[in-house]
Amino acid sequence: MRIALRGVGVVGGFGCGVDDLRRTLIAGRCSPQTASVAGTEGAGEMPVFLADTSRLAAFIPNRALRRVDHFSRLAALGACLALEDARLPPTVRQALGLVIATGYGATRTTFSFLDTVLDHGDACASPTFFSNSVSNAAAAHVSILLKITGPSLTVSQFEMSVPAALLTACQWLEEKRVEGVLVGGVDEYCAVLGYSWQRFFGPGPTTGTRPLEWGRQSAIAGEGAAFFLLCRDEGDPPDYGFITDIRQGHLRHGGLDLAADALLLLGADGHQACARRYARHLPADARVATYTPLYGSLPVGPAFDMAVAALSIKAGRIFAPPPGAGENPGLKIVPRHARLDATPIRCLKFGREGEYAMVTLSGRGSI
Amino acid sequence: MSLQTPVAVSGIGCLCGAGSNLGACLDTLFHGRRQPAPPARFSSSHPTAYPVFEIPPEVSLFGTGQKPQLSRTARLVLTATREALGNSGWDRQWPHNKRIGVCIGTTVGSTMNDEGFYRKYRRGDQPCINPIETYLNSNPAQAIAREFDLSGPCQTVVNACSSGTDAIGLGAGWIRSGICDAVIAGGADELCRVTYDGFISLMITDDSPCKPFDATRKGLNLGEGAAILILESQATLRARNHPARAFVRGYGSACDAYHLTAPDPQGQGLRRAIAEALATSGQTPAAVAFVNAHGTGTRDNDRIESRVLSALLPDVPFFSTKGCTGHTLAAAGAIEAAFTVAFLEAQKIPPSAGFTDPDPDLPASPAKRTIGVSGQIAFSQSLAFGGNNAVIVFGKGDT
Repeated sequence: MRIALRGVGVVGGFGCGVDDLRRTLIAGRCSPQTASVAGTEGAGEMPVFLADTSRLAAFIPNRALRRVDHFSRLAALGACLALEDARLPPTVRQALGLVIATGYGATRTTFSFLDTVLDHGDACASPTFFSNSVSNAAAAHVSILLKITGPSLTVSQFEMSVPAALLTACQWLEEKRVEGVLVGGVDEYCAVLGYSWQRFFGPGPTTGTRPLEWGRQSAIAGEGAAFFLLCRDEGDPPDYGFITDIRQGHLRHGGLDLAADALLLLGADGHQACARRYARHLPADARVATYTPLYGSLPVGPAFDMAVAALSIKAGRIFAPPPGAGENPGLKIVPRHARLDATPIRCLKFGREGEYAMVTLSGRGSI
Repeated sequence: MSLQTPVAVSGIGCLCGAGSNLGACLDTLFHGRRQPAPPARFSSSHPTAYPVFEIPPEVSLFGTGQKPQLSRTARLVLTATREALGNSGWDRQWPHNKRIGVCIGTTVGSTMNDEGFYRKYRRGDQPCINPIETYLNSNPAQAIAREFDLSGPCQTVVNACSSGTDAIGLGAGWIRSGICDAVIAGGADELCRVTYDGFISLMITDDSPCKPFDATRKGLNLGEGAAILILESQATLRARNHPARAFVRGYGSACDAYHLTAPDPQGQGLRRAIAEALATSGQTPAAVAFVNAHGTGTRDNDRIESRVLSALLPDVPFFSTKGCTGHTLAAAGAIEAAFTVAFLEAQKIPPSAGFTDPDPDLPASPAKRTIGVSGQIAFSQSLAFGGNNAVIVFGKGDT
């Protein structure tokens, strides 16, 4: 497999676009906002990395966005930014496929639909909320707004959604169904998620995410979108390198087959239950980094991990992990200003049941 | 797009309002029996009782009473998987050296919308999170992988009403590209008040038994169900000397990019999907024995399908089975794929239940009675919310 990564579009708590993400990576810090949440002891607040979609107006007329909800706006903005980054002419868009990954879908709109039923009865259910709550509504809006008429797919596999989407995107390219695929992950925060989060994990951490402190629950919820334009390996070499492998599996069928000194970008995001799997299965000499303190914990987090890997390949160096992700005496954490050699970057994510996925990105010199 | 290597279908499982297994469903379809009724599993304050096709409570679903952490959609898909594995000769045990993937379509099965939980949440009652845990435990593809101890690619497709068709097309691709030796592919969806209210709010629901392609059609009836196809490489099937019931010969999909809920008036996406399906199967329209149409019974869907089929596949018989199953949403494509394979085997197609009066606005009408068919391949097609169109091509098997 050798799929060229030609554009990256990101929006999250750190800002909007690859320049904002790069600046945040260099600065090594990003502060979450606070969101109100109905907690176990009445209304309260919790830290959340929230995303602002106002820049979408630079790409799409406001009139066309009237009935487009926050979830679909996140997806549309991520998609527009990836196409802009790739400098793809609008005329080529008809030959694109679209694959969107999401863990939970358009939760705000789903609950808004239920509000109309619970407030006013079954006969007053909102058709607008209903149609926008359907799982593939974001893909539909992106297709309509950007005139993408190739195959369209939405997948939902919780933390494994993004690797699953990438597998299909690469498959379409290898089958030559399409000339390019716009593929991305999107998830949004909503108050019900916040409530559930607190019931599952308790109040948010007071000192920020500590993803490599395996015994500590320190995850901070996030929302956002990260999109990529993928193409076959044709034409100019891509700045962001290539996807050279996508591996999915389950630990009950054996551990990971990894080089002892692999360079791993971990999807560890402060969830204690998943952290023990990283602790148990990382090779002793692996060099590791994680950047989740900059964008938070969300099911499509692997898309943000991959965006960081792509920016690293373009920059030719590994960004220093942010404070909070640099402390674990048992790990070889990549040092500050580490030059990226020919080693591929493997983005590794464990799910809640022991499933895992690893997406490998390689620069031109590493193949 | 290029010619696709055929992928074998070695087993099928199916349940819906027409029957609790594939054989029972076929019996219902060929006899044109249908008994949609107002929903029994949930209440509604609608002044009109819209009929639905529910699976009767006496049907024993997988894990009932033993696995309380699974949603009804997960139970439906596991029930269909159990039947399909038995039919394929694999039962529950795969050889450990086989790479088995799971690709399942759903809509309700991946939506966090538990009404009881949310009602309490709104009241400030601080509900317990068991319904959220059930939701997290019930991702259909993951539920199958967990229950049958599989570790290959696992993907839940949420492409609305074309999900089941897309899942089968994608799963076949995994085998062709060598990622998997076999794939459990299909779709599942349960009936619930959210979709019931939602479709009524869109004013595309018939308050009487639905009448796909009929001049007097008023909309769809919802249904529920699941279907699974066991897909295998021909090499795997040969090695265990098991016959193929059919082959996946081609797949095409395309997006209208036109409207969130309405199909493109010219059916542009469907035309491209059919063209791709034909091209990848390496066949011509003359080889098509029949088309299992999406045929929901809505004014728009049936008009577009009739026009496109009339233009691209003239004289090829088509029909809708939704008059006997209702619209099972993401399960529909999988259920109809299962039926398509069975009709290819039987070399006959059933009457389009609910169709009596041809619509003068439609250039082609569906089969009115059971008819014999000949031809090497058959289409099953799905149109969906968001402008998705998906077409799967099945070829005759070894039996």
